Amino acid sequence: MPEENVNKQAQAGQNPKDEEPRIGVYVCNCGGNIGDVVKCDMVAQTLGKLPNVTVAHSNMFMCSDPGQKMIADDIKEKGINRVVIGACSIFLHEQTFRRTLERAGLNPYLYYHVGLREQVSWVHHGTPKEATEKSIRMMAAGIAKARNMKPLEPVRLPAHRHALVIGGGVAGLRSALDLARRGLQVTLVEKSHYLGGRMAQWERVFPTNEEARPLLKRLIDQVLAEPNITIHTGAQVAGAKGYVGNYTVTIRQQPRGVRGTFPNEQGVMDVCPIKQRCEFNYGLSTRKAIYRPYKECVPEGLVIDWEHCTKCGECVQVAPEGMINLEEEAHEFTVEVGAVVLATGFQPYEPFYGEMGWKEYPEVITLPQLHRLLDDEGPSDGKFYWNGHPVRNVALIHCVGSRQVEGVHRAQMDGEVNNYCSRVCCTASLSMASLIRQKAPDAKIYEIYEDIRAYGRWHEDYYTRASKNNVTFLRYYAEEIPEVRRADEKAENPLLVKVRDHLTWGEEIEIPVDLVVLSVGMMPNPVQDLMEIFKVTPGSDRFLLEVHPKLRPVETAVNGVVLAGTAQGPMNIQESCAAASAAAAKVSALIEQAKVELEPYVAHVDPDQCQGSGECVKVCPQEEAIELKTFSENGRTFQRAVVTPANCNGCGVCVSVCPNRALDVQGWRLDEYEAMVEAIAADIPAWEGAA
Amino acid sequence: MPTEHIKVDALVVGGGIAGMQTALDLGDQGYQVALVERQSSIGGKMIDLSKVFPTLDCCSCITTPKMSATAHHDNINLLTYSEIESINRNGNGFTVQVTKKPRYVREDDCTGCRSCELVCPLEVSEDEHEFGRTSHRIVYVPFSTAVPQKAVVDIDNCIFCGKCIQACPSDAIDFTQQPEPVEIETRSIVLATGFETTPIDAKKEYGAGKLRNVISGMMMERLLAPTGPYGRVLRPSDGKMPASIAYVQCAGSRDQTLGVTYCSRVCCMYAIKQAMLLSGALPLAEITIYYMDIRTFGKGYEQFYQNAKAMGVEFLKGKVARITEDADQNPIVRVELIDEFGKTRVTERQHDLVVLSVGLLPGGNPQAKFGVPVGEDGFIQVPDYNVFPAVTSQPGIFVTGTALGPMDIVDSIMMAGAAASATASYLESSNGSGKEAQSQPERSVEYA
Repeated sequence: MPEENVNKQAQAGQNPKDEEPRIGVYVCNCGGNIGDVVKCDMVAQTLGKLPNVTVAHSNMFMCSDPGQKMIADDIKEKGINRVVIGACSIFLHEQTFRRTLERAGLNPYLYYHVGLREQVSWVHHGTPKEATEKSIRMMAAGIAKARNMKPLEPVRLPAHRHALVIGGGVAGLRSALDLARRGLQVTLVEKSHYLGGRMAQWERVFPTNEEARPLLKRLIDQVLAEPNITIHTGAQVAGAKGYVGNYTVTIRQQPRGVRGTFPNEQGVMDVCPIKQRCEFNYGLSTRKAIYRPYKECVPEGLVIDWEHCTKCGECVQVAPEGMINLEEEAHEFTVEVGAVVLATGFQPYEPFYGEMGWKEYPEVITLPQLHRLLDDEGPSDGKFYWNGHPVRNVALIHCVGSRQVEGVHRAQMDGEVNNYCSRVCCTASLSMASLIRQKAPDAKIYEIYEDIRAYGRWHEDYYTRASKNNVTFLRYYAEEIPEVRRADEKAENPLLVKVRDHLTWGEEIEIPVDLVVLSVGMMPNPVQDLMEIFKVTPGSDRFLLEVHPKLRPVETAVNGVVLAGTAQGPMNIQESCAAASAAAAKVSALIEQAKVELEPYVAHVDPDQCQGSGECVKVCPQEEAIELKTFSENGRTFQRAVVTPANCNGCGVCVSVCPNRALDVQGWRLDEYEAMVEAIAADIPAWEGAA
Repeated sequence: MPTEHIKVDALVVGGGIAGMQTALDLGDQGYQVALVERQSSIGGKMIDLSKVFPTLDCCSCITTPKMSATAHHDNINLLTYSEIESINRNGNGFTVQVTKKPRYVREDDCTGCRSCELVCPLEVSEDEHEFGRTSHRIVYVPFSTAVPQKAVVDIDNCIFCGKCIQACPSDAIDFTQQPEPVEIETRSIVLATGFETTPIDAKKEYGAGKLRNVISGMMMERLLAPTGPYGRVLRPSDGKMPASIAYVQCAGSRDQTLGVTYCSRVCCMYAIKQAMLLSGALPLAEITIYYMDIRTFGKGYEQFYQNAKAMGVEFLKGKVARITEDADQNPIVRVELIDEFGKTRVTERQHDLVVLSVGLLPGGNPQAKFGVPVGEDGFIQVPDYNVFPAVTSQPGIFVTGTALGPMDIVDSIMMAGAAASATASYLESSNGSGKEAQSQPERSVEYA
């Protein structure tokens, strides 16, 4: 632990600040990632000639245990007190090497990392000589910085043992449950007025074939049983202040308008004159402006759709006194949390008008709609009927809104096509084919696909079962999108699907069908507001981006903000639950001890130089990060700038405006920069192979 | 010999990526963890890989820091080269008997300097990490990035010449070492017992392992790895640089004749990844992937597949029926191709090297050893697969990684977090500890 090391150093009388710099330089081959381009041993050899460089090594994998041991041994045995490493990206292994220094008893901030992979080998792979020379210069600059580095201590702060989970779908519920069971306080906010998210709308879930809502209900019951979890439905995050361990989050909650359940709910809904598209059934039915989202929804009871309610008061008349309040207003409150879990989920891809007949023909629906259609509690009570007639021929078209090809498919608003696979649709479609077969034993079922991606455990069984169930498979290529058109009026089936089938030697086949199901992919829920509030970023697929898929798979670049479930990318329910649980583990590790450590790269005022001009306070973009305070000394009063490290994000704007050069960012001081610039511009030692 | 006693909150069985990550995620939450690994180093299958999809990070750069972090973690007690003998339920916890196999090198004294290795006069070619493509000395450090970095003696092949004893600067060699019993008392167990790959000789249609230029995907990983046997890609029969390389997908998966009906989930991506790496290593080589369905389902995977196509890797749909060889030991692949020109044809195509994209089989027999039920596929079966995938039917026993079924590294790491979380939930519950009397402290630290 850091404190111990400080003590150890103090005991040993080591104060690196006063010592002559003894720099250890290490050049990593990165298993060929760097070494195939940059002559790493030449770099090390050359840098070894620079002043203050005590040792210079190259190694295949500096980050491996033997590599780290080399550094630790040099610190202990050769008195190395500054470390410069040329390796991969700082994002990958800064933490790794800091821990190495700590274990060896050196302040972890006496280390500088040069990115030789992203900044050299990957961008200069055709020119090894120049790449080697650039590496030498960059590392020479690092060495120059290292000479001036001072030991730093992280900013240590108390943290709330309290997490905010945003999103009450299966991932959010699962995260909340694990966090609560771990002993943390949890606030769960859900935008809609019921828990369960998209999973509640599924008829059943693969690969276990369980009915979705009873499975979900069991999870919800466990969540409700946890005293550590506070749930707010109809609630959204309106703003947040703070940093890891200490966020103050403002939550805005829409009123439900209805206080609880009562016997005459149906009567109340009946008198409401407003009819609206039912979102729960994906528009396959209508609902009133006062409605129950779905039968077993939690929290139970009716809810008012304020957007469409005219406040006519009909419902108030019929309901028991005091149960409905049409004058209720939204209210805001704040919670203080240490970490935030983004479980904001996905929305099904919305095809554009005319895409394979979508909206053009009423007989074209999406896979989520098919779920509702086949649901016993759905708009047709689970009968496989469309327009009042049994469906005898049905085609399911895969990869609608997924695996799109630029120039073939129409781009989204941002100009990009969805070039990713949505992961769940293949098995979901196959499982629906099985259900259709149960409900309509004689129906002709066509699965029109690109590749069948039944990758998961027991997924392949659905594929096998579909084949045995006489499902007909036709394979198309993304470049030739199947066409859906209206059959002529006398035809038995209203639609025709034309597809070039690559299982029958590229034959063009036209299938008459009653219903077309578009197996639509996943898109992230629009969370632009949350991205701005918590400063997290999306990837090129618009899903929220993790730091690294293997090293830090649920963390965002913002410490204390983690991802759970389909906010991060397409996942099925098992994967969402695993990811949500992993997010909970990360949050637990972060705030369970009720304290956090922040980077020490914050502004620092030299009180001898500061004249209290206040320029820094004017330009500081952070709240309460720097302020002028009045001091008095020997009867003289004067003002000096004072930094609150927890609120400073180290941007350095204050440094640039200070007229007295009284400010510096710790770890990135101006004299360090100057030394680096000089080193880059200086002549480098001659090296073998330079000619 | 006195039995060593260890008391922990959680025992993790298996030191591959899933086991290491679970141990780290539990250790980071403040739990005491013992990690038992059968091999002489942790790292599992992952440490043998070259680069990893879809980021193409060098695999060692992801694995070795995790190995190092596991070994140095204050809350993790690492037992390598150790076998679990028995598990007995003991109240709410377990008593686990473990045998530390003799390394014939005292772990505390060995510094991993390899002086012994340099003087050892004998080599054997059975290196489990290189699939017999290279050899190791009788006394050796398992591989350059092994954790712990300690030598081990292959006692069955040792002639006891004693040179290593003379060479060892720290007097660590000890031929009298005996198996050491260790008793672990733990409140919970996480099974990270991993997977094996389909044996190369499993399918007689694919030459039953007798065709020299038909290798497995794992062998290709070693050929591509910077620490690999040749430092470049050469084919086994004559050391020639292959100009034409073919991948046979589903060689061991989705194959009823082998009793493996499931998809192994990783093979499409590793074949595509290797094809990309080969395009770099052998720019002139032609690379063909014969497939049934391309299953690039994960985050960034489809884009990765499209990049490979754009790089010129040839993807041909068709299940390879048979592989034979010609007089020069060039493999010949017989396949029915459905090509884009609207005709099917049964064809035979000659390649210099064929890589079988072998599948994933369950590692070990968790049912026999740990009493957890397995499915028909041999992987551990859990009661609530969708919502609580890490929780087995045995209270206090959890599962992670490929012990639960084929999965890639990204998903294994995710599952590791899930298993750690599930274990933590259990440990905090009354069943896990009797800790229920201890109320959770309110926020103990006030704002400064």
